[in-house]
Amino acid sequence: MIRVATDVGGTFTDLVSCEIDQDTGVASAVRSHKANSTPPGFQKGVMDVLERSRLEPEEIGFFAHGTTMVINALLGRNGARTALITTQGFRDVLEIGRGNRPDLFNFHYRKPMPFVPRHLRFEVLERTGYLGDIIDPVDLKQLAAVLEQLKSMDVSSIAVCFLHSYANPENEVLALDYISKECPEMACIASHMISREWREFERTSTTTLSAYVHPVAAKYLENLNDAMEDVGCVGNMYVMKSNGGIDTFSSATKSPINLLESGPAAGVFGAVELGKQLSIGNIISLDVGGTTAKCALSMNGEIQITTDYRVEATPTYPGYPVSVPTVDLVEIGSGGGSICWIDDNGKLSVGPRSAGADPGPVAYGLGGTQPTVSDAHLITRRMNSRLFFGGEISPDISAVEDAFRVLASQLNVTLDEVACGVIRMADSNMANALRLVSVNRGHDPRDFTLIVFGGGGGLHAISVANELGINRVLLPMNPDVFSAWGMLLTDLRRDYIRTRLIPVSKIGAAYVRQQFEDMKNEAIAEFAKDGIPDHELTWSQYVDVRYRGQEHTVKIEVPTDRLDKLALRQIEKDFHAEHDRKYTFTLENPVEIVNSHLIVYSPVAKPALNELLSTGQSLDDAFSESRDVNFDIHGWLTVPIYDRLLLGPDMEIQGPAIIQEPSSTFVLWPGWQVDVDKFGILHACRIESQED
Amino acid sequence: MTHSREDPFTIEIIQNSLAAISDEMFEVIRRTAMSPIIYEALDYSVSITDGDGNMLTQGNGVPVFLGVMDSLVGEILERYRDEPIRPGDIFVSNDPYGGGSTHLSDIAVISPVFFDNQLIAFVVNKSHFTEVGGKDPGSWTTNAVEVFQEGLQLPYLKLFSEGCVNQSIVSLLEANVRLPQMTLGDLWAGVAANRVGTRRMHDLIGKYGLSTFIVACRALLNYGERSVCTEINNLPKGTYCAEDVIDDDGLGNGPFPIKVRVDISENDFTVDFSGSNAQVPGPINASRTATESGVRAIFKALTNPNIPANAGCFRPLNVICPAGTVFTADRPAPVSLYWETIMAAADLIWKALAPHIPERLPAGHFLSVCGTMISGTHPITREYFLMVEPLVGGWGASFNADGQNGQFASADGETYNIPIEILETLYGIRATQYGFHNEDGGHGQYRGGKGVVLELEILAEDATLTASFGRHASKPWSVGGAASGTNNRIEIERLDGSIDTHAMPSRVPLFQGDRLRLITGTGGGYGDPHLRDPNSVKLDLVDGYITADQSLKYYLIDSGD
Repeated sequence: MIRVATDVGGTFTDLVSCEIDQDTGVASAVRSHKANSTPPGFQKGVMDVLERSRLEPEEIGFFAHGTTMVINALLGRNGARTALITTQGFRDVLEIGRGNRPDLFNFHYRKPMPFVPRHLRFEVLERTGYLGDIIDPVDLKQLAAVLEQLKSMDVSSIAVCFLHSYANPENEVLALDYISKECPEMACIASHMISREWREFERTSTTTLSAYVHPVAAKYLENLNDAMEDVGCVGNMYVMKSNGGIDTFSSATKSPINLLESGPAAGVFGAVELGKQLSIGNIISLDVGGTTAKCALSMNGEIQITTDYRVEATPTYPGYPVSVPTVDLVEIGSGGGSICWIDDNGKLSVGPRSAGADPGPVAYGLGGTQPTVSDAHLITRRMNSRLFFGGEISPDISAVEDAFRVLASQLNVTLDEVACGVIRMADSNMANALRLVSVNRGHDPRDFTLIVFGGGGGLHAISVANELGINRVLLPMNPDVFSAWGMLLTDLRRDYIRTRLIPVSKIGAAYVRQQFEDMKNEAIAEFAKDGIPDHELTWSQYVDVRYRGQEHTVKIEVPTDRLDKLALRQIEKDFHAEHDRKYTFTLENPVEIVNSHLIVYSPVAKPALNELLSTGQSLDDAFSESRDVNFDIHGWLTVPIYDRLLLGPDMEIQGPAIIQEPSSTFVLWPGWQVDVDKFGILHACRIESQED
Repeated sequence: MTHSREDPFTIEIIQNSLAAISDEMFEVIRRTAMSPIIYEALDYSVSITDGDGNMLTQGNGVPVFLGVMDSLVGEILERYRDEPIRPGDIFVSNDPYGGGSTHLSDIAVISPVFFDNQLIAFVVNKSHFTEVGGKDPGSWTTNAVEVFQEGLQLPYLKLFSEGCVNQSIVSLLEANVRLPQMTLGDLWAGVAANRVGTRRMHDLIGKYGLSTFIVACRALLNYGERSVCTEINNLPKGTYCAEDVIDDDGLGNGPFPIKVRVDISENDFTVDFSGSNAQVPGPINASRTATESGVRAIFKALTNPNIPANAGCFRPLNVICPAGTVFTADRPAPVSLYWETIMAAADLIWKALAPHIPERLPAGHFLSVCGTMISGTHPITREYFLMVEPLVGGWGASFNADGQNGQFASADGETYNIPIEILETLYGIRATQYGFHNEDGGHGQYRGGKGVVLELEILAEDATLTASFGRHASKPWSVGGAASGTNNRIEIERLDGSIDTHAMPSRVPLFQGDRLRLITGTGGGYGDPHLRDPNSVKLDLVDGYITADQSLKYYLIDSGD
């Protein structure tokens, strides 16, 4: 049986595959292929890369797919013309938003333009109270009149969001049924299908964006499915979601908004899964690409999930809320293509300006003149100029040096100092991003292993680890296609979240139990529709808890069995401890549950990691040359360069050294040592304690 | 590894790290504070200053604390000159007249940072606590006549001495506020943020060394000054004047004339409020530092809105105003609505300069936080509730675009409204409308952004309303022949159908079934309405932003209905 994962990015479509031995369950080595992405019909790129891989489609038993199609539809504003139907009196909620103006001193600030203009936002008389009581049923006559109006407005998708539908979706269900009956040709999404959390603006925004991308996303998934069937693939087909799990095509089609961050989620999931196979539970993952770096933290093998996610958000722009479970990651504008620049008043920055792929770094010779982080790696000779861009580009070193000389003279320092400085600033930016996911959330980075991937991960890994006091760093095999590799190992996952305020001391455990029972029954029914019986499902349960009067919650795990009074006491105790750890204090205020969160998995059989065969060769055989490399404060050092593809199990390398492979370079600093494990994974650890 | 070099990259990294530390402090408060006005309206600020009180970096939820953090530290240094400040000390203050002053509801927590036994920096935060005692729930009122009615005063007290809490202060506070859990929760949030900040500062200075750190701080302040001077040089030089009024002091007095003269020269930006009204009986008075912070906010908007603010940015700014005016009130003037007045100060400068600096300034906006406070007993839980919320309104049009619809006023910033679904859960209220109105105003080549109506039905058996809606008589100003905006106001529709209108009600009784309409103004327009693109007019008609009558009257376009 062959397992395949395809990851569609803006530029390339990656495919990774492995063959599973039916008897042992052990996977073959992972093979990877690339083809150009083919917007707007992305399925073509997928079929191209599949063809290039020469895999037999009939033998594919598992096909996982990650795609940027949904986020591209949003960013490019290529979705459907969408209307919104909402509660009488509240059609402007979508435009008012939260009223905030994060760009504090810019009096020409422009708030996000709603995806649905005012004349396509309709109101109907209906009302649910905050306890879920129906105050007014939906006025169907009024709804009929709205639909009549809509028919002449060239709308192809409808979003329905009513106040308090998270507490009781009855009115939304009623409206949805009516609309589907009257306008079967239109896509229609009601908020309870996507989110059962309170806050009407965030839920309306989520529902609207969901309806907006629905027709294009559904069409895309259908096309891909058909194309795969046409070539004879009969295996199980899945799509990667933002929550770090996969789901069936049919389920994903119902709520494609869940696919928004599928690529990054796969990388984070891959890191967690790799950790599990190596018995490492606490992980910070760092994915360094061409324009950005993304990092996320996971504890005890659990991905951190948030529903507080916003598309297009920046520190000075609020973006559009999408309140669906999404891997909690921080993305910053710091990657290989990040430009080093000086403003009119002499302030130095690295990123977020990026040279992108075109013109790219100066070294590409495509017209770039502003020095980038990648260029700095060449000047320091940490990166081998012969392997630049996988050896496909022969870098223009003298142009790079010229670009840095300009900067050096402006700053009155040497060429070497500029190159090292640029990298140091990029390291520092990444370290600050890592702090956001760790120390800012009450975690000590020293308790974590850093797993790096992406083309640039290995170049920054150890210096970032040094900044944060992290003692262990891992570089997986095939770091450039690691996200796609993660998809090969993913379980089916669905998250169910319900808002209901429950004072822990006042209300019995039965009430909480009932919440989870309801969600479980819903999950069982939904999985049954996909042909997955309930005995194949596994569960985890969480509650979002806070002190009464607070706004923000802390996620606490609850037992799936025996959710009794004692368990409630335990939740309270765990909450106090977690609050203290995160925020340095506890309170005597009453504790309340805000959300109940059920995660349902349908585990897929995972291939075991492929072990390297011992070749009997020694480290000397992997040695390719000695090179002078600039190690910043350590100066220029003559260090050994190793070919990663020739490394074997149990080899040990002392820093300083460089370990290179066609797609990635690992900089091993003095004071660090690498051990190669039986899978070929590089484990770097600090051998000299850090002076504080 | 210690980088003890003073190269430009290290300097830059230290400066970025300072910003990261204040971000982290900001986040701690946002997540742990108990007052909704802190965690939803983000009515607080965190700052790091150097050992002399020069602001190095500030994390803001609202623009108006920009002048107060450094003068706060200055005041601490002054008051504790003869009594040593030690590691582990934490100060607390809400003094509304001296350094760092705003009003009693804003409580500041100040911690010195020591390195090698040397006082090297301060970490500070200042937040709007929902309850600090005083004559009315929620502490701020519209009818106080002296500061003693506005809450408990905490003038630069030592809350912690060398790490030990002064329990007497805590007990005093606890006994004098109506919601002690909330108030103390807010206080611990501030202390927690400073602890985090202090720890990170130690790490940072430890890593790069004290002398490098000091070089970086100096360079940061100089950069702030340099970049602001560049911007001032780009502004049109000259003298600009404006006059306006503050409608009401809360007690029904007013209007109060206010005026400004702005002088912009090579490296200097001077504002002079001489000739403005004397301090008034009601609580809209602002102290000198509070007014300066309002001026700093507009100065920042005019010079360089994008770079992080530090003390260096304000070196070229001079604020002149005689003592005892509404902008420079003295003890014991009531000050709890100071924000109305510092916004008026900023708006005056804005009005004087908008026609000359269109690329930075739009026409006048609804100019009031439109703060509303409703208290009562929750009809189901039977618990006492206190809702405090600002309201969004219309912003003025720009030289090239319509104004923003439904956005918080200039004194607010990263301020969030309370979702209706949360509002209805926590308070004895049902919302029946939250949307834009099309009252007549703001017409122009570019029209003012729309104000909103928030209609609330009272479900509690009884409740009371206190609110401060400025600009209820004077209107948001326009530029270049456009129409002014519309007024802010409050309507109460009683069960018998009678409607009374308010602007600054204090403890007005509300009863079950009453409907409360909170209405904010539409912003001023920009340019002659006849020059408006007819397609924009038609779109406004389709969208319901203007009526058919308005279309015909101002734009000479017949809607065809």
